[in-house]
Amino acid sequence: MIGCQDFCGHYDWTFEYLHREYGDEALHDYWEQAISRDSQRHARALISDKGFQGMSEYWGHTLVEEEAGYIATEAEGLYRIDMYRCPSLGFLLEHGLRHYHDYCEHCMGWIAPIMAENGFSIDHAHNHRGQCWWEIRRAADSKGPSAPGEVAGDHDVRLREDWPAGEEHLFLRSRRAVSGPA
Amino acid sequence: MAAPDFYFAINATFRFIEERWGEEALNRYWEAMGRGYFAPLSARFRTGGLAAVEAYWRDFFAEEPGGEVDVRREGGRVAIRVRRCPAIHHLRTHGREILPRYCQHCRVVSGVIAENAGLSFAMEGGDGACEQWWMEEGEGKR
Repeated sequence: MIGCQDFCGHYDWTFEYLHREYGDEALHDYWEQAISRDSQRHARALISDKGFQGMSEYWGHTLVEEEAGYIATEAEGLYRIDMYRCPSLGFLLEHGLRHYHDYCEHCMGWIAPIMAENGFSIDHAHNHRGQCWWEIRRAADSKGPSAPGEVAGDHDVRLREDWPAGEEHLFLRSRRAVSGPA
Repeated sequence: MAAPDFYFAINATFRFIEERWGEEALNRYWEAMGRGYFAPLSARFRTGGLAAVEAYWRDFFAEEPGGEVDVRREGGRVAIRVRRCPAIHHLRTHGREILPRYCQHCRVVSGVIAENAGLSFAMEGGDGACEQWWMEEGEGKR
């Protein structure tokens, strides 16, 4: 039986399999169709029905269930997550598993379509070491990402000494931007 | 980190592959997973024999949430009686449409793991309850 206890291991392996067998477009389609629309339909429904409150309910439940190390910050027109210890990538690092070259990419792969359909956009960066931050605003809101510490104070993952140690991938308004210090 | 909502993603992954590329593509995915991702498990079973098989599945089902499973050694085989499959139970509880061939992944993936460990595998039932046997060569399931 394929279990949920090592799900992140065979999930990562599946990314590499789909990429190798069917190509990059198929993998991105998998994240959007299978994960975003099918598997995570409960997240889609919460965010569609309740907006920011739905995000809070979804990630509050999910990240606790997955035993993540994170802080969520809610402000007017903004939902922010600072992740210090991603349980998903953490599982791979702990077990020496790395089949697909960019495991972290899958989060934007399934979350961005939900946000786009519900009128939100995402500023986000991850450093491939189990740390990332997310700022979700209404798409009509022209504000860019906050300065480090501006929204989450000392909890801002970008203020950690170990944040720059990994390779940063930055997304602005839900699109991949240049890598580099935030 | 055995979060049961991950069963949603496993079910969705099977559905995506079968709907997009067909039943044989899903079989190939399962076979490749058995040969690739689970290669270390085959090696562990090859080295440790049925004692390793029994220990692995006992620990495995103790971790999977919501299942009711008995694992026992019976001479030259390990019998696994799944009275309540944790995956099917969670998917049903949450009203998810379960891919009709969902249970076939056990037959295919475990079959490949067993073959590469010098063992054989058999399974009867499905749809939330089944019996599985891991056997030394020449051993029957009954």
